[in-house]
Amino acid sequence: MYPQVLFANRKASRIATMEEYCRSGGYEALSLVVGKWTGKDVCAEVQRANLRGRGGAGFPAAIKWLGVPEEADYPRYVVANCDEMEPGTFKDRVLVHADPHMILEGMALTGYATGAEKGFIFVRPSYESSARILEREIQKARDAGYLGKNILGTDFSFEIVVHRSGGRYICGEATALLNALQGKRPNPVKPPPYPTVKGLWGRPTVVNNIETMANVPHILRNGAEWYQGLSRSSTSPGTKLFCVSGRVNGPGCFELPMGITLREIIEEHAGGLQPGCHYKACLPGGASTRYLTSEHLDVPMDFESVAAIGHRMGTAAIIVFDQNTCLVGATLNLTQFFARESCGWCTPCREGLPYLRDLLWRIEKGEGEEEFIPMMRAMCDQLWNAYCALAPGAASPVESLLTYFEDEVREHIRQKRCPFKT
Amino acid sequence: MAYADLLPEEMRKQLIQRIAEGETAREQAIDVMTALQNHFGHMSDQAMLVASELLAMTPLELEELATFYNFIYRQPVGKYVIHVCDSAVCWMHGHESLMDHLLSRLKIRLGETTEDGLFTVLPVCCLGYCDHAPAMLVNRHIHGELTREKIDRILTRLAEEPHLPTGMK
Amino acid sequence: MPRIVIDGLEIEVPQETKVIDAAERLGIMIPRFCYLKSLGAVGACRVCAVKFLQGPFKGVQMSCMVDVQDGMVVSTTDDEAVAFRRQVIEWLMLNHPHDCPVCDEGGQCLLQDETVSGGHGIRRYKGSKRTYRNQYLGEFIAHEMNRCIHCYRCSRFYQEYCGYRDLGVMQIADRVYFGRFQNGQLESPFSGNLVDLCPTGVYTDIPARYKVRSWDLDRSPSVCIHCSLGCNTVANARYRTVWRVEGRYNEALGSEFICDRGRFGFGYTNQPSRPRQARVDSRSVALSDALKSAAEKLSRIHAASGPRAIACVGSARNSLETQTMLKSLCDGLGLPAPCFFVNSQTEKAVKRAVASLDERVAVSLNGVAHGDFIVAVGVDPLNEAPMLALAMRQAHRRGALLVILDPRPSFLPAPHVHLGFAPGELNGVLGSLVGKALETGDEGKLPPLHEDFLKSLPLESLFKAPVNHGEELDVVLSALQKSRRPVLVCGSEIVRENTPSLCADLALLMRSAKGQCGLFYVLPGANAFGGALLSGSEESSFMEVVESMEQGCTKALVLVESDPFLQFPHKDRLKRAMEKLELLIVLDHLPSLSAEMSHVFLPTSTLFEVDSTFINQEGRVQWSRAVHEGGIPMEQWTEGNHPPRAHGAIIPGQDFKAAGKVLEEIARNMGASGEVSLSDPRFRPGKGASPLEGAPGDRPGDGMRLIPRESSREPFSAREEYFTFGEDAGDSLELLLVEALFGTEELSAHSPALEKVEPKPHMWMHEQDASMLGFSQDDVIAMDLEGGVVEVRLKVSPSMARGVLVLPRHHRLQWQKFRDISVRVPHDRMRKS
Repeated sequence: MYPQVLFANRKASRIATMEEYCRSGGYEALSLVVGKWTGKDVCAEVQRANLRGRGGAGFPAAIKWLGVPEEADYPRYVVANCDEMEPGTFKDRVLVHADPHMILEGMALTGYATGAEKGFIFVRPSYESSARILEREIQKARDAGYLGKNILGTDFSFEIVVHRSGGRYICGEATALLNALQGKRPNPVKPPPYPTVKGLWGRPTVVNNIETMANVPHILRNGAEWYQGLSRSSTSPGTKLFCVSGRVNGPGCFELPMGITLREIIEEHAGGLQPGCHYKACLPGGASTRYLTSEHLDVPMDFESVAAIGHRMGTAAIIVFDQNTCLVGATLNLTQFFARESCGWCTPCREGLPYLRDLLWRIEKGEGEEEFIPMMRAMCDQLWNAYCALAPGAASPVESLLTYFEDEVREHIRQKRCPFKT
Repeated sequence: MAYADLLPEEMRKQLIQRIAEGETAREQAIDVMTALQNHFGHMSDQAMLVASELLAMTPLELEELATFYNFIYRQPVGKYVIHVCDSAVCWMHGHESLMDHLLSRLKIRLGETTEDGLFTVLPVCCLGYCDHAPAMLVNRHIHGELTREKIDRILTRLAEEPHLPTGMK
Repeated sequence: MPRIVIDGLEIEVPQETKVIDAAERLGIMIPRFCYLKSLGAVGACRVCAVKFLQGPFKGVQMSCMVDVQDGMVVSTTDDEAVAFRRQVIEWLMLNHPHDCPVCDEGGQCLLQDETVSGGHGIRRYKGSKRTYRNQYLGEFIAHEMNRCIHCYRCSRFYQEYCGYRDLGVMQIADRVYFGRFQNGQLESPFSGNLVDLCPTGVYTDIPARYKVRSWDLDRSPSVCIHCSLGCNTVANARYRTVWRVEGRYNEALGSEFICDRGRFGFGYTNQPSRPRQARVDSRSVALSDALKSAAEKLSRIHAASGPRAIACVGSARNSLETQTMLKSLCDGLGLPAPCFFVNSQTEKAVKRAVASLDERVAVSLNGVAHGDFIVAVGVDPLNEAPMLALAMRQAHRRGALLVILDPRPSFLPAPHVHLGFAPGELNGVLGSLVGKALETGDEGKLPPLHEDFLKSLPLESLFKAPVNHGEELDVVLSALQKSRRPVLVCGSEIVRENTPSLCADLALLMRSAKGQCGLFYVLPGANAFGGALLSGSEESSFMEVVESMEQGCTKALVLVESDPFLQFPHKDRLKRAMEKLELLIVLDHLPSLSAEMSHVFLPTSTLFEVDSTFINQEGRVQWSRAVHEGGIPMEQWTEGNHPPRAHGAIIPGQDFKAAGKVLEEIARNMGASGEVSLSDPRFRPGKGASPLEGAPGDRPGDGMRLIPRESSREPFSAREEYFTFGEDAGDSLELLLVEALFGTEELSAHSPALEKVEPKPHMWMHEQDASMLGFSQDDVIAMDLEGGVVEVRLKVSPSMARGVLVLPRHHRLQWQKFRDISVRVPHDRMRKS
C-alpha cells in the first residue's frame, strides 16, 4: 500500500464529511496561508513542488498561475475542470465522491494565489450526483467560514459556483470550457491571449483539473520536499489517480506514486487480466493516447517516461485490451467517438474524422482495401494540422494501430471480414 | 413576457432570480433550458421562446447552444431518457448486444420513444463509469454493471411506478 | 516594420500583418475559405497552410493565423504544405454536391477554383454524402446548405460584424448547420453580403437566380448612389438587364460590404415603366427632335420673357457631369443659378456642411470605424446611410462609446446611448456635452479664439433639457473626456441649418484640445456634395421658384432628373404652380408626375449606362463605369421568348442620352457657351493641386477628396445663433420628414426586390405624446392638413424625443399635404381614424 494523500479519507460506502476532512488536516493549509502568505508565496511553493496538471497535458500548475499578469484587472476567476469526458477516465468522479472538500480548499487556495474571488466547477451532466455533492458541501464550507466573504476572518473572499454542462467532450478543453461557461458555443480558441490573461468575460482566468487543485492543500501544508518524496519519478512529483478499466479483474481508480510501472498498476492494483485473458494492449491515458503493447509494460508512468518512448500519459486512465478483442473494432469505436464529438470548427476534425471512421468501418466489416492503410497513415499525419488537440488525439489510436497492429488490420482486409467474429 | 407567462409563477420567479445571480444571463442558458425541459418534457419550440424571453437571447442564439449539447432535447422524448454508453470500455463489455436487447424489449429503434411515451433510448459517449461498465444513464441516474436481467429489472420498475419522480432529464 | 521572405521574395510589411496578406502583396494568392481581412482570422478552414522554414515558427502553419515577424522564411509551394492543402480540399469535397452546372455560384465559386487548381478530381471517399434541409431566408437570398463547407464566414459576418442575431451556427461535428431558428426573412439589412462572402453557393441572390451565368455577365466597377456614402460596387449586366450588384473593396471606406438597399435597389434601371421614349406635347418623337423642340421652346421664352423666366432644377442624384452641365447652361444663358434641393432647410444645412469640411477634421467611413468616441447628431445612421451604422459598430467593437443625439427612435445594431432630443435642442445639448467634457480638460493650452468659443458653450443646457438622461450622461461625459480620437457625425435633413457649422466648430475645438477629432457629415443624396458646390445663393431656393411660378414670373421650368413632387410638402400647390408654366421640360429615367406633366420629355441614361462621377458626403470624387449600353431589356422586348424573333440594326429603347449630354445639346442649340466644367477651380482637391480634369489616368480625380486643407469659412463666428432654443412645444408636434431604410429613397423605391420587404407607411410618436392624445400603437391616425387629410398608421416609442412627429417619406404614402417642410402639427388636427 502506497501513501494515500488524495484518497486518505476515501471510504467504500460513503463520502467523507467536512469534519473528517478537517480531522485529517483539511483546511489547515487555508488557515496557514490566507492572510499570512502572499499569492506569490503560494505560487512559489507550488512551483517548488513542481505540481503538474492532471488534466492530461502535465503543464506545471504554478507556471500557469504566474501567467496571470500582476497588474491585470479584477475580477479574476478560477475554474475547476470536472468535465472529464475522456473515455476510460473517471477519477474526478471518484475524487468528488471521496473527499469533496479537498477540491474546494484547493480551489480557494488557487484563487488566493492568483487573486481570484470567484471559482466555477464545471461538471458534466452524467455527474449530476457529483454536482449535487459539491453544491451541498460548498454550502457547508461557506457556513464554516472556509468559503464566502472574509474567509477565516481575513479580507480574502472566495465564492464557488457549480456550473452544469450541457454535455460534450470538447467542453473539457480549457478554452472551449470557458466559452461553454459563458453560454457561448464551446469552440476552442487558439491562444494567445491565454485564459490567464483573457478568460471568462475577458478577465484573467485559471483553469485546472480538479485533481490538480486537490493536490494544492497538501503541498502547502506538508511542503514541496514531502510532495516530491511521494513520487518514484524525478520529473513528475506526487501521487497520481490512475483509472484502470477494460479486461481486468479489479477495475477502479487507484492513488499510486508517479513513476510506478504500467505492469504493477495492471497486475497488482487492478488485479491482473480476467481469467483466460492475456494482455494485448492498453491505452494509457484515455482515448486520445497511443496503444501501448506488452513490450511497453515496464514503462514508468510519469509524463516524461511515457513521452520518452514516443507516447503520452494523458489522464492516466488505462484501458486494457485482451487478445480476444479486435483492435480494429476498438479503434473504430474510438474514432466514432471523436467524429461525433468534434465541435465542427475546423476541416480536418469535422470532415477528416468521419473519413477515417468510414475507412475503419469498411475494414472492420470486410470491405477494406490495401490502399486504405497508406491513406489512413497520411490522414493521421494531416490531422496534426487541425485547430485544437482533439483531432491529433483522435489520430493517436489509429496511427498506433497501424504501427503496432498492422498485421491485424491486413488480416481484416485479406479475409474480408473481422477475424475476431465467428 | 408573453411566453414566460406559460410557466408557474414560482418557477418563473426562481428562474428570473437565478439568471440575475449569474455574471451574465447567457451563463445560465444551459441551466434554464434544462429546467424548462424538465418542466415541458422537452425543449419544444415554445420552450425555446420562453427561454429566449427569460434570458434576453434570440431563439437562434439559444438554438446554437441547444443543438450543440447531448442533454438538451429539441425533439419530444419519453418520461425516461435512457442514454446508453457506447464508448470503448462499454463496447468491450458487450454494449452492442445489451443495446439490441434494450431496443427489442422496448420495441423501438435507437433514438425513438416507446408508444406509451415512457422511454427514449439515445446513444451517448463515455459516461465516466468505466469501472462499472457497461453503463447507462436514466434521467441522469447511473446504472452500471448492466446485464440483460438487470436492464429488465430497471425497465420493469420504472414502468410499474408511474409516479416515480422523473428528476432531471 | 518586419521583413519576411515568401517563396524567395522579400517584403517589408506593417506590424501585425498576417503572412497570408504579406503574400498577397507579393502577388501570391494563398488559398483561403474562412479568412477575410474585414472579418479577421479564425483558422477554421485550414486551407491556407504554408511551410515555415525559418524564424520563430517551424513547419506547416496556417498563414492567416501568424503575424509576420523578422526572419521568417516561408514556402507556399513546399510539398508538405501542398499535400496538406490538397487533403483539406478533398475533405471539403466529401459532402459537396458537385451541382456546379445548376449552381448560380458556378464560375465565380472560390471552392470550384481551389478544387480545380488544387488538382482534386478523383473521389476516393466511398461514404454517402450528408444532406440538409434548406430554409426560407426571405426575398433576397436563397439557401442551399448541402453546398456548405463550414467556413463560418456567414455567421461571423452576420453576428459579430453586423450585430444581428437571427442567423448563426447550429448543431455539431459534421452536422453543423448555418441558418435561422425558423424560416423567415433575414432581419439584417446587410444580409446580401452573405452572397459575396460565401465561398461557394450556399447563399445566392434571388433576383439573379437562374437568370445568368457569371461568365456571361458584363461587369464593371460602379458606385452605389442610394445614399451619400458612395460605397463601391460591381455592376453585372447581360441582355440589356442589370442583374446583380456586388460590393467592392475600398480602402477609404474600409470594407467591401454594402447594404441591401444598395445591393437590391438597382431595379429602377430595368423596370418596364421606365420612360424611354422622348415626347413633345404628349407625342412620341425621336430624341433628336425632342431636343430641337426643347431648345426652340426655351429660346422663345428666353427671347420673349428674358432669362429670369427660366428656372432649372437638378437633384442630388445627378452625376457631377450632369450638375456641371446644368450649371454651365444656366451661366451661359444668363438664367438663375440651378437649384439642386427641393427642401430649402436641408439645402442650407448641406451648404454649410460642404463649406465646413476640410482636411483638418474630415474622416472617411473607415475613420469613423476607428474612432474611440462617436457622437452622431441629427442623423439616423441605419436609415439614412446604412453602412455608417456598420462602421459605428466596428468602432464599438474596438471599444468606442457610441452616442446618438437624435429625436428619432434609434435602431443601431450596436450598444449605444441614445439621447432623444428634439431638433431645436440638439445644438444646445451637443454644445454643453463638449463644453462639459473639455471644461475640466487642458483648455489652458487652447488658442485664445478656441478658448473663447469653449467659454461661450452653454454648459447647462444639457441638464436643463426636458428629457433627463441622468446616469447615461455621466457615462457619455467621462468617455468623451477620456477619448483621444472622437468623431462627430452630423446629419443634414432634420437638423437646424447651423448645426453643421456648430459641429465643425466643435470638431476644431476638440482637435485643439485632444490633437485629433473627426468630422463626418451625412448628406441627402449621392451627389448632394456636388449640388451644394454648384447651386446658387440661398435666394434661388426651390420655394422661390414655386412662388415665382405662382406669380407667373417663371414661365419655363427644366427638371433634370428631379421630381419635386416627392419632396415638396404641398403637392396640390406645386401642381397648380406647374400648371401655370408655359413650358415644362423634364429629363429623367424614372417615371414621375413631373414627367407626365411635361411638355417636352427627354429620356436619360441611368448610372449603369454611362460613365459618371459622384462626390460622396466626405467630398470624395468617385468614378463609375458604365456596365452596358442600355435599351429595353431583352426579357421585356421578347416578352419572355428567347432568342428574340425580330431583328434589326437598332437596339430598342436606346434613344436616350446622359442628362449632361442632353443639356449640352440644348445649350448648343441655343447658342450658349458655358464656362463651368470639371476644370473649374471649385473642383480643386487642395491648395496647389490640379482641378479634376487635369488629373492623370482615364478616371479623372477618382478617389480624390475635394476639400481644402483649411476651410475658408470663418470659424467660431456664429456662436450666438447656435444655441437659441426653439419655441416651446405647446399643443402641437414638430413634423420631421425622414428617410427610412427601405421605401423612401427615390431610386430604390422602384426596385421590385425591395418592394417586397419595405414596411408599410407609418409614423412615430413618443409613447407619452401618443397616450396624451389618446393614441396607441397601430392606430390609424388622420391628420387634417392644409392640403387635405393624411391617414397613417402610428408607431409609438419610449425612447425618442417628446414633441415630434416622425414621418418617413414613404413612396406609397400621399403625405404631401403640409403647408411647409418645417411645420408643427396641432394636436387638434390629429384624430383616430
